[in-house]
Amino acid sequence: MSLCKTRLQEERKLWRKDHPFGFFAKPIKAEDGSLDLTTWTAGIPGKQNTLWEGATYPITITFPEEYPSKPPKVKFPAEFYHPNVYPSGTICLSILNEEQDWRPAITLKQIVLGIQELLTSPNPDSPAQEPAWRAFLKEKDVYEKKIKEQAKRYISTT
Amino acid sequence: MGRDTYLKKVLGEDRYQKVQGSTVLMVGAGGIGCELLKNLMLSGYGTIHIVDLDTITLSNLNRQFLFRKGDIDQSKSITIKKAVESFNFHGTKLISHHGNIMDTDQFPIDWWDQFSYIFNALDNLEARRYVNKMALFLKKPVMESGTTGFDGYVQPIFPYKTECFDCQPKATPQTFPVCTIRSTPSKPIHCITWAKEFLFQQLFDESVEGDAEDLSNATDNDKELENLLKESNELVELRKLVVATGEVISQNTFFSEMVRKIFQIDIERLLLIDTLWTNRLKPIPISDAQIEEVADLIRSGGIEQRLESLIDTQVWSPLENLLVLYKSATNLQTRMKNNKFIAFDKDDEDTLDFVVTAANLRSLIFQIDTLSKFDVKQIAGNIIPAIATTNAIISGFSNLESLNFLAQNSRTDSSMVFISIRPNKYVTSATLEAPRKQCASCSVARGILKSEEGTLDQVTLEQFIDKVKSKYSYSSDISIILGKSKLIYDFDFDDNLSKSLSEIGFKTGELVLIQDEDDEVENLELYIEVGLKSNDIELPELELRQKILIEKENGHENGVGKDAEEESGDVIESDMAFETIVIEDEVEEEVPAPKKRRIN
Repeated sequence: MSLCKTRLQEERKLWRKDHPFGFFAKPIKAEDGSLDLTTWTAGIPGKQNTLWEGATYPITITFPEEYPSKPPKVKFPAEFYHPNVYPSGTICLSILNEEQDWRPAITLKQIVLGIQELLTSPNPDSPAQEPAWRAFLKEKDVYEKKIKEQAKRYISTT
Repeated sequence: MGRDTYLKKVLGEDRYQKVQGSTVLMVGAGGIGCELLKNLMLSGYGTIHIVDLDTITLSNLNRQFLFRKGDIDQSKSITIKKAVESFNFHGTKLISHHGNIMDTDQFPIDWWDQFSYIFNALDNLEARRYVNKMALFLKKPVMESGTTGFDGYVQPIFPYKTECFDCQPKATPQTFPVCTIRSTPSKPIHCITWAKEFLFQQLFDESVEGDAEDLSNATDNDKELENLLKESNELVELRKLVVATGEVISQNTFFSEMVRKIFQIDIERLLLIDTLWTNRLKPIPISDAQIEEVADLIRSGGIEQRLESLIDTQVWSPLENLLVLYKSATNLQTRMKNNKFIAFDKDDEDTLDFVVTAANLRSLIFQIDTLSKFDVKQIAGNIIPAIATTNAIISGFSNLESLNFLAQNSRTDSSMVFISIRPNKYVTSATLEAPRKQCASCSVARGILKSEEGTLDQVTLEQFIDKVKSKYSYSSDISIILGKSKLIYDFDFDDNLSKSLSEIGFKTGELVLIQDEDDEVENLELYIEVGLKSNDIELPELELRQKILIEKENGHENGVGKDAEEESGDVIESDMAFETIVIEDEVEEEVPAPKKRRIN
């Protein structure tokens, strides 16, 4: 527990000193005016020259008490359209999975870059929702149309 | 000849006097506690405080020998005191406290300060960590102990001098990726986890994720709320059937709808994702014929008889699983009329039957072995085996090692002891190591911040920061975290500067963590103690050591986590909080394992 909070403050410091262009990440403000280090909101810009460009996709990152032994949970909004995102918005990504590639040394920056990469390169072998998975593999035109529609909903403000 | 003649001979006159004059704390009055209290009293300890928050249950009685059937539902800490009075030969003063050791109102820091030694007889990591932390604040020695089945250990802890409880990583309960649980189970445990933590939870229990609550704060629009709820609870339609009252919806409707949805429709949907099944066995949905067969039996009213003949230790047939599922689901549905929700409890037959059969039916679908109710109960209830003899041996070592503390060179005389059932190595001891540099608990300086309420109302955060910076000569800016995870100030966040400390949440028992921006000195943790007559804020006298920067890759060394107990709430106690002991039988000299300790 004490490791969790020192590490989260460390992540905050690291992020302030160095974060990739177009991204944002910050702990949410609690009612009492403090910042809740265990819950962050972040924005993932779609890569340029891809279906995802021009938009910033919002995610919520929740850190468990056992962080960094255990990975944070990362969610898009519910019903987010992507083959590896569950209907609830939960992201299926190996670096966020304790049994797969999560390591305590993985930083917030690596997580958000990993998610940005996942947007444009879905993994067809670990489907998390049927519609996007099916379209991605079998109906490319439907998939592209849906992704572009979604991009309009999350259009970047800057 | 007096009763203490032999005791004096064994301990020596000098140590006997020390033991008699000691006030010690025993945290936990369960499996280890019963054995340990007896030992401590017979060793002549002068005053023993006993803390436990639990009451006695039937399953305790096989090993917690100070309790009897008539004591069931009574407080452990109070009952244990009465039970030992009959052999209180050395006039030990016993003081019971029924309460949670982590309660800062009942057990403020000055209460802790009266003890010369703390004995842990605990069954969960959270409380162990808390006691460890309090011991670090007050520099009190602790005797930590734990058992699982035939294994056990004692670890004397001398704060900041030897390894603390957090220095060695502790195993965390196994978790499974959401994909495995929801789409591609391959072991019985995956199906049990699905049944208990997804299906049961969504149908009968409160929303785990708190999503529904968060949502109702976020929107007032009913329609929108319902849509959002639908997304957060995929089984919302079924849940509606569960709570539907009135005659329109018969109980059979809920059961058959549920079976169709979770064992047919959902499985068929999974089958559509064909890449999932190129390297895996395809799941086989439950057939209509199977569902019909159950429906027929229900209509003919012959199921009670069939259910009566079922044996818990045997594996049930698919039909039997379906019948028990029907029975438990309808019972639960009836109970939901009077309850807002029902939580899983391994001792609640309806909830257990539901989870056992739902898990087994899912296993059948995915062609995984099914288990008996007895086996599923053990897994779903996180039951850890507890053996009276192991507890007795460990309590004996706990007591013996504590007597070393009262000897001349307390630290060098103490050692860790491990017991296990391995040929020729039943008991092993190891010398105490220095605290690990990267330990998240030992690498923090600690002290007590004393103040009183009126002062906290007046002093602003800005004034407090200035005071801390000058007191400890910080050269860079600092960040302040209050409690578990509330960041109240850092370089980038100055919203709260003009607020008073009490407004921000400074109060007795809260912890304040201070880190410097440039990572030059170690972190500082302050325990807030309110009540002292002082019109100032008194900061502890401390010299902050230089910060030791650790390679990022070593982060995992500090594994932290809860154990199974806390997750399930009610488990047969006594667990081993310790990392599996690294003592290989014969080969220990040849194979240098990184975690191996020096063996005496």
